[in-house]
Amino acid sequence: MRRPLIGLTAYAEQVQYGRNDLVAGMLPMTYVKAVHAVGGRAVLITPDDPGTDVIESLDGIVFCGGGDIDPVNWGAPPHPATEVDKVRDTSELMLMRAALEAGLPMLGVCRGMQLMAVATGGSLHQHLPDLVNHERHRAATGTDPLAAGASDYGRHDVVVEDGSLAYRLFGRSLTVNSFHHQAVADPGEFLPVGWCPDDRVVEIVEHPGQAFALGVQWHPERTSDLRSFAALVEAAVRGRAVAAA
Amino acid sequence: MRPIIGITSYVLPATWGVWADLPSALVPHDYAEAVRLGGGRAVLLPPDDLDADVLERLDGLVLAGGPDLEPSLYGQETGRYTVTHPERDTAELLLLRAALDRDMPVLAVCRGMQLLTVAAGGALHQHLPDVLGHEKHRPGPGVYGSQSAGFAPGSRIATLMGDDTTINCFHHQGVADPGSLTVTGWAEDGLPEAVEDTRRRFVLGVQWHPEVSRDRRLFGALVAAATEGDP
Repeated sequence: MRRPLIGLTAYAEQVQYGRNDLVAGMLPMTYVKAVHAVGGRAVLITPDDPGTDVIESLDGIVFCGGGDIDPVNWGAPPHPATEVDKVRDTSELMLMRAALEAGLPMLGVCRGMQLMAVATGGSLHQHLPDLVNHERHRAATGTDPLAAGASDYGRHDVVVEDGSLAYRLFGRSLTVNSFHHQAVADPGEFLPVGWCPDDRVVEIVEHPGQAFALGVQWHPERTSDLRSFAALVEAAVRGRAVAAA
Repeated sequence: MRPIIGITSYVLPATWGVWADLPSALVPHDYAEAVRLGGGRAVLLPPDDLDADVLERLDGLVLAGGPDLEPSLYGQETGRYTVTHPERDTAELLLLRAALDRDMPVLAVCRGMQLLTVAAGGALHQHLPDVLGHEKHRPGPGVYGSQSAGFAPGSRIATLMGDDTTINCFHHQGVADPGSLTVTGWAEDGLPEAVEDTRRRFVLGVQWHPEVSRDRRLFGALVAAATEGDP
C-alpha cells in the first residue's frame, strides 16, 4: 500500500557542501528520517514558489524549523535579535492557511509552531531571554542541544493540559530538547495545551477545529520520541480514508 | 493544478547559518526554479530505498546531477577517479525503474543520464580525460565547459534545442554504451551528450546542465509531457 505522502517545508538557502557554495533547496535529514521511521514518505517543499496547489498532492504536511518569522506579520517592529527569512514566511503562511482551509493534517515544529500562531492572527515574543531572564530554551549557537556538553541548555519538562489531543499523545508531562529564542505570545486560532513549568512558555498548541493540527516548540525529529510524527502519519492515513469514502 | 515534478536530491553534510556539517537532503536550487519556470510544481525527493510509491503522486521526474555511479552496476571495477554514493544509486535506480514501468516522463541530467544509461543496460567511461585526452567536459572546479553539440535530425532533443545548440558541461564520466537507449546528441569529440528512449512517451537524458540556464525548452517539454499524462 502506498505510504502517506508528507510534505516538509524546506529552505532555499546559500549552503556549503563539499567544494560547493550555492543556493540549494535543503532540509536536515532528521526530518526525513523521522517521517520515514513512522511509515510516511517525505518530500521537500521549497519556498521559492509561492503557490499552494502542491497541497492537493499531499496527505499531510510538516512545517519545519528555521529562522524567525518577520514581526511585520503581526504588526510589531523587529527586535535586534530577530533574523527573518521573508521568502519562507510568504510561502509558508500561504501554505499553512491553504492547508488549514483544506483540513490537511499538519505538524508544526519550532518555527512551524510559531507559524501556526502567526498564520491565524496570533503573535510571538521575539526574544525569550528578555522575557524569562534565562537562556535555557536554546543551546549555544551552532551546537546540538542533544549533544554531550550541551546539557545545561535546551532540555526541560513540559506539562500538558488534561483532555487535550496532546495529552492523549504525551500524557501529563514529558521532557524535551529545546532550541529557540522566540515563543508564542498569542496563539491565534490555536489553543495552548502545553507549557514549560518553570516559566510558562507555550510548548504545545493544537487547533480545536481541525482533525489534526499540532504544534510543538521542541525538536522531536532530533530524538527517538517520534510520537508527534507518528500521530501525523496516522492522521494522514485516516484523512485519506475519509477522502476516498 | 500544475503537474508535480519530483527532483532527486543528495544527502550530504551541509553548512549554513549557525549550522555546521549537518547531514541534509539538498539539491541546487536551479532545478526547482527551472521546473517552476517550465510550468511545473517541484518537490524534492530525499533518497529512499524502501519503495517507489511516491510516484503515484508525481506527474514527472527529474534525475538530478551528482556523484559517480557505482561501477559494479555496469560490471566494472572502480577506477581511481571515481567517487560514488551507493545509497543514492540504490534509491534512484528503484525510482527510475518504477517510473519507466509507469511510462512517467523523465528528464535525466548529467549523473541522471548516466543512471538512465545503466538502467538501460549500458556502460560508462569512468574518467573521460583518460579516454579523450582533454578536459573540455569539465574545465576546472566550478567551471562549466561551453560547447556546441550536434543532434540527430528529427530527434526529440533536436526539435527542442532548435538553432541554439550551446551546451554547458561539467562531468568527468560519460556514456560508453547506451544500452537500449538511442544516442541523439554528440559533442564535437563524438561523446554522447543526449540519449532518448523512443519507445516511451518522454524519456530524455542530457549530459549537460540545462537547469543552470533554467532552459525552458527542456523543462517546459517535461512539464508538457507530464500534463498530457494527467488523467
